[in-house]
Amino acid sequence: MAQDEVLRVEGVSKVFGGLKALSNVSMSVKRGEVVGLIGPNGAGKSTLFEVISGNMRATAGRIVLFGDDVSTVSPDRRRRAGMSRTFQKVRLFESLTTQENIAIAAMQCARSNDDWRGEVQSVMERLKLTRLAQSYPAELTLADRKKIEIGRAIVGRCRLLLLDEALSGLTMDEADELVGVVLSLNTELGVTIVVVEHVLPVLVSMAQRLVVLNFGEVIADGAPREVASNEKVMTAYLGSKRGAFS
Amino acid sequence: MSDTAMSPANGVATSRINWRLIVPVAVIALMVLLPFVVGTQSYLLGIAVRAMLFIALGQAWNVVAGIGGQLSLGHGVFFGVGAYGTAILFNSLGLTPWVGGVLGAVASIAVAGLMGAATFRLRGVYFALATVAISLCLEKLARHFIGITGGDAGLAVRFIGDSLSAAQSRSPLPFFFASLVMVVAYYVLTRRLLRSNFGYQLQAVRDDEEAAAASGVPVFRTKMWGLILSAGMTALTGALYVQFYLAIDPGAAFGLGQAIQIQLPSLIGGLGTAGGPVIGGAIMILVSEVTNWLSARTAIHGLDILAYGAILLIVVMFVPGGLLGRTRRGA
Repeated sequence: MAQDEVLRVEGVSKVFGGLKALSNVSMSVKRGEVVGLIGPNGAGKSTLFEVISGNMRATAGRIVLFGDDVSTVSPDRRRRAGMSRTFQKVRLFESLTTQENIAIAAMQCARSNDDWRGEVQSVMERLKLTRLAQSYPAELTLADRKKIEIGRAIVGRCRLLLLDEALSGLTMDEADELVGVVLSLNTELGVTIVVVEHVLPVLVSMAQRLVVLNFGEVIADGAPREVASNEKVMTAYLGSKRGAFS
Repeated sequence: MSDTAMSPANGVATSRINWRLIVPVAVIALMVLLPFVVGTQSYLLGIAVRAMLFIALGQAWNVVAGIGGQLSLGHGVFFGVGAYGTAILFNSLGLTPWVGGVLGAVASIAVAGLMGAATFRLRGVYFALATVAISLCLEKLARHFIGITGGDAGLAVRFIGDSLSAAQSRSPLPFFFASLVMVVAYYVLTRRLLRSNFGYQLQAVRDDEEAAAASGVPVFRTKMWGLILSAGMTALTGALYVQFYLAIDPGAAFGLGQAIQIQLPSLIGGLGTAGGPVIGGAIMILVSEVTNWLSARTAIHGLDILAYGAILLIVVMFVPGGLLGRTRRGA
């Protein structure tokens, strides 16, 4: 494994009954990268996220995280190892406040001398959530709920962040703000990011590399401009050979 | 259990009156004075013991179900094992209930461990169903092994007179203070729990297991420790119960009626809160006394069950989180 590789997916397949959701998928993510994972509906993006995060076991193949094979490791141990995620539909602890939602993850990942309370405050400041610290999720807008989920994901030595459609349902302004936050996590904190997103122009501007899935297989992997002009990608997205992201 | 409070006042000086501290302290002070007001042999003191045993059972159930979100429909298992264990060890071996109660709690914890290991990795209602199934099994066993448990008629604890070592007394006074200590201890434990890392883990698992795991919470371990803590608390209450009543029978120990009654204080008072089971249990005993009095005068039996059902229905419809509500869990 290359020293700067944080995630390697090796020949992963996932079968549900007679349906092959993932078929021999391989990809790798290097430290500090922002990688976009795209594909039409049903391509297997969410299934791959579930397998990487540990919520689903792969039928075949391996997940190597920070150099260790974590294929049979539970999601909570993967989180404590430094990989975190958000969900397609925001999932917060509804009976806990904003601050507590973020603090839970900080507590689980903290080592004995860590100032996890200080980290929670600093994450809330970064995400402009301080004024909402004592609010409950049900009282908040979708944009704020998404920010809480991101806050919960990045505390506690997060090194690899999986973002599942973080921009869906947001207004243009809210999406712009969140993109800024996400990019700052990468540039300022050095967090490696894998992002599934349907707003392709935004993704093209965020990601240094795109991995394209179709019918559970990787059909392209490369720089956004290369991928956009890839024939397989154009056919998968548009059924013709026009520019896929135009 | 380290305090990891993330409360609004955390680290901020405040001059506001802390009602969350004053109210419980005032209630405890009034309870301590009660025997001196009503008399040490009073019927009211007996009712107070019954109420506090009921509250303690609700507090124990609240840990795993209210805070941890694992719906146990057969908590009578732990209560029964604690009560029968204490009584059997005293009757047959002469073992002091102080030790017998602890051994009963250990046995309950072992049962809880088996139940949790078998069901907690599964999603859905398996745990709830397992608790009912084990409860029914133990009720049958208690009825079958007459030589040990007394069968249908139940088991009477051998009474040897006033004795500290045998935890027996003709007066309700020692049981009043013992049950008061238990309720206060469980209340303090619950408050501390809600602000501890383990308490947050339980609440996270209750709200969303997958999100909890994605936050680093060990879901299986959290559910298991929550059940073990709750089972131990329930069994200790069972031990005190059997010392107070000096009798236990299969229905009172493992019956579904008992299991449902254990749930009511939290459901009515406030699921997942520290004060909820206390308020809910007190209301229920009050209602129980009034309906018993009415039943005696009208010869209509089961008014208490009707009243419980009506109260539960009203709470579920109008205040689903219970009177204190989930968001006021520190209360």
